[in-house]
Amino acid sequence: MQAIPPPEILLQLSLNGALGGAMYGVAAVGLSLIFGTMRLIFLAQGAMIILAAYFVRALFYGLGIDPFLSLLIVVPVGLGVGWLVYQGLFRRAAAEEDRNISLLIAVGLMFLVQNLMTVVWGGNTAAVVTSYTASGIEILGVRTSFTRSMGFLIALAGTGLVVLFLRKTLVGKAVRAASEDMEAATLMGISPHRVNAIAFAIGIALAGAAGVAVATTFPFNPFAGFIFSLKALVALALGGIGNVAGALAGGIILGLIEAYVQYFISGGWTNAIAYGVFLAVLMFKPEGLFSRPYKKA
Amino acid sequence: MLKQAVPKQAWMWIAIAVVAALALLPLLPGAIDSYAFSFLFFVFIYAIMAQGWNLVAGFGGQISLGNHAFFGLGAYTTAILWSGNYLWGSLYDAYPRIYYFDPVTMVLGGLVAAVAAIIIGLPLLSKLRGDYFALGTLGFGEIVKVMFINGGDFTGGAFGVVAPAGTFDTLLPHYLVGLGLMVGVALAIRLLMRSRYGLALIAVRDDEMAASANGIDVLRVKVAAFAGSAFIAGIAGSLYTYYIFHVGPDSVFDLDWMLLPLMMTVVGGTGTLLGPILGAFVMYAVFDLARIVVPDYHPVISGLTIILAMLFLPKGLMRSFGGRVRVV
Amino acid sequence: MANRLLDVKNLEVAYGDVGALWGVSIHVDPGTIVAIVGANGAGKTTLLKTISGLLKPRRGEVLLAGVPLAGKAPEEIAGMGIAHVPEGRGLFRQMTVLENLELGAFQPKVRKHFKQSLEKAYVLFPRLKERAGQKAGSLSGGEQQMLAIARATMSDPSLLILDEPSLGLSPIVVQQMFALIETLHKQGVTILLVEQNIHQALKVADYGFVLKTGELAMQGTGAELIADPEIQKAYMGVLEVQ
Repeated sequence: MQAIPPPEILLQLSLNGALGGAMYGVAAVGLSLIFGTMRLIFLAQGAMIILAAYFVRALFYGLGIDPFLSLLIVVPVGLGVGWLVYQGLFRRAAAEEDRNISLLIAVGLMFLVQNLMTVVWGGNTAAVVTSYTASGIEILGVRTSFTRSMGFLIALAGTGLVVLFLRKTLVGKAVRAASEDMEAATLMGISPHRVNAIAFAIGIALAGAAGVAVATTFPFNPFAGFIFSLKALVALALGGIGNVAGALAGGIILGLIEAYVQYFISGGWTNAIAYGVFLAVLMFKPEGLFSRPYKKA
Repeated sequence: MLKQAVPKQAWMWIAIAVVAALALLPLLPGAIDSYAFSFLFFVFIYAIMAQGWNLVAGFGGQISLGNHAFFGLGAYTTAILWSGNYLWGSLYDAYPRIYYFDPVTMVLGGLVAAVAAIIIGLPLLSKLRGDYFALGTLGFGEIVKVMFINGGDFTGGAFGVVAPAGTFDTLLPHYLVGLGLMVGVALAIRLLMRSRYGLALIAVRDDEMAASANGIDVLRVKVAAFAGSAFIAGIAGSLYTYYIFHVGPDSVFDLDWMLLPLMMTVVGGTGTLLGPILGAFVMYAVFDLARIVVPDYHPVISGLTIILAMLFLPKGLMRSFGGRVRVV
Repeated sequence: MANRLLDVKNLEVAYGDVGALWGVSIHVDPGTIVAIVGANGAGKTTLLKTISGLLKPRRGEVLLAGVPLAGKAPEEIAGMGIAHVPEGRGLFRQMTVLENLELGAFQPKVRKHFKQSLEKAYVLFPRLKERAGQKAGSLSGGEQQMLAIARATMSDPSLLILDEPSLGLSPIVVQQMFALIETLHKQGVTILLVEQNIHQALKVADYGFVLKTGELAMQGTGAELIADPEIQKAYMGVLEVQ
């Protein structure tokens, strides 16, 4: 344990934690959508994020496309891939009562993607280094990395767009309805396959956006995805399963926890404490930290 | 469902014949040194792990994603007892091989895992259902791993613990103990599932409310299944220790020890007695074959196999080809 | 036969190996209210769920205006004009009253007329207009049931299926509910109604079917069934005591 540090350090910790945590958050938003309609823990989400990061790297070094500009390519491709992944891999399993089947397909996909990445790009750590990678900007009097701040903005924008979609469009409302009660939704004429596919498309598109943020901020390797999935799950639980905006907030909180634990206790305990908080939330506030209970009739 | 491809009774005879053949295999000249021997040893370990997972998830309906932690606990318990000679004192000097496949050490490995399962299972299972329980056990597994990495001298930190043994000259004892444990665990679960407790477990899985209304202590039944599952995983971990000697956080807490048995069970047939064993044989054969034939791509093949199996055999081998399989 | 709106023939349904319906045949003529009554576990809800496609029959068929529904998914059947208000209402409790009504008009066919349907619904259910922005889960039980029915009418269904609309409501609200059913009937809506409240249900019904442990025990006009001594003995006596 260390003595209470000066406020600048606390601010620095909070800022870095929040910026980093937003990336867990955006992964969690994707998980939340997919879990919402399919009741599936999509463990391959992290692997998809890393796949997107490699894709961004290939676009940058191969074609000279700026990583942030590549969002314009990665996100639409993500939508398409998500749609295809659902139709090709999960459509049949979604109809089965046994949800282990979907879970295992997700696990299989994770194995497949991370090992394909190893075959194609090798198992070593990769990174995207641009002219602005090392540059910093000043927020609230604290210097922080430019790319991290951009990652935060991407997370914010991505989540914002998803929330708008869910709240303002009829199809978005159908997705919410299906997340709450699939049977009742089908009675409204909503096709489960359609909402599942939409959830998957948006989920993978968000993985693409997160991939851009990861590629520009951290070095990564094909197997980094699983930890990302786990962290996203923690964020999801903190925010409340099924609460999309809460998932982003959960990610930010997780980032803060990690930053503080790393500074005050030790880097070695970061994960244990993060998962400890996760367990505590699951047990004592399984509806998440942000749920407002409403009167039940 | 397909028509009864193999009659019910026949399964038992096939199982007995296979076990007998496996038991007699070492008598075959050259078998002990053959590749098949170590292959089968791993199949046994995975089959035991799969059987353990099947107990809590298949029969109990509680998806545990933390069984690798119990495997690791069993492995560490064995390695620590042995390297610190906490169990046999001066007897160890007289009989240096006393820890080898020592039943007491192995059972303790299982017990440590079972106790951990009860400690974590009581709060988790009383509060969490379904996916939340699955997520909770996943978090638990990660916590245990970090605790062992940070456990100082006792757990050997990131390096782990090395059992004070040289290499072994023969895999024969590993093979026989593995086979025995696989058969023993299967028989024990068969007995268990035919007992009052087994009926209660199935009742809880199928309809918790109705079970509770019929006077079944739901929490106790679930925790017991979780602990039983952990015990089996702990024993498997102990057995593995006698094979690798060096127990480290990355080797025995590897998620594969949870994911592969889970996959094998589902491929073989969740909630069936022979499914986990069949799944372990088939899947490990596929993985191993891929490893030999296309070494660079073998994990890709593994991933593909899981996906294909789930797409085309979602009910598992036992239920797809076994006809109307009697559950136990 | 030709002008029957709904024709259910020899329907057999099972959960796994456990049979729930054994060769049940019912029919609904356009513009009528048909009640299905029977004790708990008689198979009423199973019958409704099979009609709307949530359950698949083992044998028999369901025809909607002569078109067989076999192999159709529930969302397709909803698109063909059946609106099913399930037991427990099936509201989206986390969503607002207005959002629930919007989803009632989700099908492309009826989406265009959303404004008119909404106005019509608000005339019939003025309370819902006041509560449009509130979450459905925050409404009282009676209001929730009204919302569930209003939502079903948003699709201008040719057949409205109501599963136990009076369940869990106070006697006054039950009266309002049945008054509403009659109003809908006068507007020309065809209604298939399942009720435990047998007396009330048969009073409003043009025709009724009695289910007993998965089989059709009796059928007749509402008045005939009410007057039937066996029905009075078997069902109404018991219910009146409760």
